[in-house]
Amino acid sequence: MKIGSKERLATASLLGVICVIALAVWWTYAELDDASRERREASDIARALTDMRLVTDEYALNHSERARAQWYEVSRRVDNLLAASRLAGQTEQELLAGLRDKRTEGQQIFGDLALTPADDRTDASGAELINRRYEVQSLNRLLIFEQDNLGAAFRLSDLATERGNIAERRLFVVVLSGLALIATIKVGVSWSIRRNVLTPVARLQHVAYQVAGGDWGLEFGRGGDDEVGDLTRNLGRMTQSLRHSFARVERSNQELVSLNKELETFSYSVSHDLRGPLRSMDGFSLALLEDYGDKLDEEGKDSLRRIRAASQRMGRLIDDLLGLSHVTRVNLKIEIVNLSEIVREIAAALDHQKNARTVQWLIEENLTARADKNLLGIAMQNLLQNAWKVTGKTPEATIRFGMQRQDGRQAFFVADNGAGFNTDYAAKLFEAFQRLHHADDFPGTGIGLAIVQRIIRRHSGTIWAEAKEGKGATFFFTIGQPEHDNPGQDNPAG
Amino acid sequence: MTTLDKIILLVEDNPDDAKLTLRAFKQSNIANPIVVAKDGVEALDFLFGRGAYSDRSGKPLPMLIVLDLKLPKLDGHGVLREMRADERTKLLPVVIMTSSKEERDVVASYALGANSYVRKPVDFAEFAEAAKLLGIYWLMLNQPNPG
Repeated sequence: MKIGSKERLATASLLGVICVIALAVWWTYAELDDASRERREASDIARALTDMRLVTDEYALNHSERARAQWYEVSRRVDNLLAASRLAGQTEQELLAGLRDKRTEGQQIFGDLALTPADDRTDASGAELINRRYEVQSLNRLLIFEQDNLGAAFRLSDLATERGNIAERRLFVVVLSGLALIATIKVGVSWSIRRNVLTPVARLQHVAYQVAGGDWGLEFGRGGDDEVGDLTRNLGRMTQSLRHSFARVERSNQELVSLNKELETFSYSVSHDLRGPLRSMDGFSLALLEDYGDKLDEEGKDSLRRIRAASQRMGRLIDDLLGLSHVTRVNLKIEIVNLSEIVREIAAALDHQKNARTVQWLIEENLTARADKNLLGIAMQNLLQNAWKVTGKTPEATIRFGMQRQDGRQAFFVADNGAGFNTDYAAKLFEAFQRLHHADDFPGTGIGLAIVQRIIRRHSGTIWAEAKEGKGATFFFTIGQPEHDNPGQDNPAG
Repeated sequence: MTTLDKIILLVEDNPDDAKLTLRAFKQSNIANPIVVAKDGVEALDFLFGRGAYSDRSGKPLPMLIVLDLKLPKLDGHGVLREMRADERTKLLPVVIMTSSKEERDVVASYALGANSYVRKPVDFAEFAEAAKLLGIYWLMLNQPNPG
């Protein structure tokens, strides 16, 4: 049975019990009301009958006209009360019938008595004496009747009182058993909640805790046919599908690992095997130039020089591609890196190149970031080299490195006043092999900025550029929370 | 012992590279005899006077070994490992000259006891320069172990 149904059943039972109690109270109240009315009626009758007794006594003493009139008046009152009586119950009806009979008889007796005038009483003849004896006898009978009637009236009153008492007792019993029933239902509900909800939920909680801790093998079990059972089964299904998903992820991971291994093998082979033929092309072209230069005309020598240039260019391309794959694969070693220092070192190296030019460097001091020093060094090298390259034709070349707030983020920047570029093409800027300048103007393989972008991405940062053709370019980048490095897996030479 | 006795062992499987290396040495006026071994096993045979080189047993060892890493049969690291494990060749100067600049190659080479690691540049002019510097350093400046 569902917990919801049980709960509805319990509520309905409670409501039912409360209704029964309310009905019983109402009914008892009506009964008590009835009983007190009956008691009132009975005492009215008893009072009237007592009065009846008194006026009958008075009449018996002095046979006065006034007493007679009073007797009739009281008698009428008694008759009215008896007629208006609404007493129910068999005993009551019988008593009332007896009362009415005795009343009729009493009235007859009194009516006979009234025929003898009072002022003739002094005359005591024989007939008179018989009359008197008869009268005394009648009066006595009347008084006995009235005494009986009075008894019956008290009996009626007693009956009404007793009815009230019974109703009160019944109310007591009903309320008490109703309360007991409510208490029983409450205990039953609590027990049911504990057994069907709290205990299974505690068990679920325990298993869920274990599963959350990574113990995927745990089963939630079958569960009952109630809501908690449904929850149990659904949780079981959820862990099952999570288990499958994780297994899939695990498989994908393994595939990735093996792909990565393949890529590594590939890079290794590229690094070793692809450069060999290039070396031969360059080396033997040079050998030709050196050994047989005098036998070649300018055209022939130019062709050989072009072969050499192409071989060397391809060598650089391979190196840059390897660099690109290297920055993607290498494990990060995060530390506090002083970027300003790195920039100064690279600037010094660029200044001391063979074909050095004068470039003004403006480097903001002590800018640091949490990053991989080697990778960030490669990124800065590429950015600064790029800036160096594009300022090659600028008379007063200036390259700035600094930091500023951009859209609420701390962005480092490398700015130059070189050739700049049309921002319409900026989207392609960071794609490998995309170049915005002709190789004749500014040499390069078009991989440098792709490498920079990968490095920044691996540091959860972003990179973007602002530029104006002929006015220079600024590259901004942020360093976010870097990827988790794997301690212990770092390459010792990294 | 004259400079001419100081043999250089060049372990190189690529004939182009071997020829270019020889040319670079020649251009650098390095007149030492150069023996070319085409794979790792041949290199070890030469060093230890085995197999085709059994007649070399007891003859002086090379002054310098220029070793490529990617070799048939036994690779450069294998050659280096065996050399360093043998008393006779334990201290011979070995210069790794290879295409790769992969970290793991460099690290493994030094770990196995290489004395230098030079990457062959594509540009032959640079290559010749490197060969020249190597020759000057290892054959002229460096004071070899008297043992």
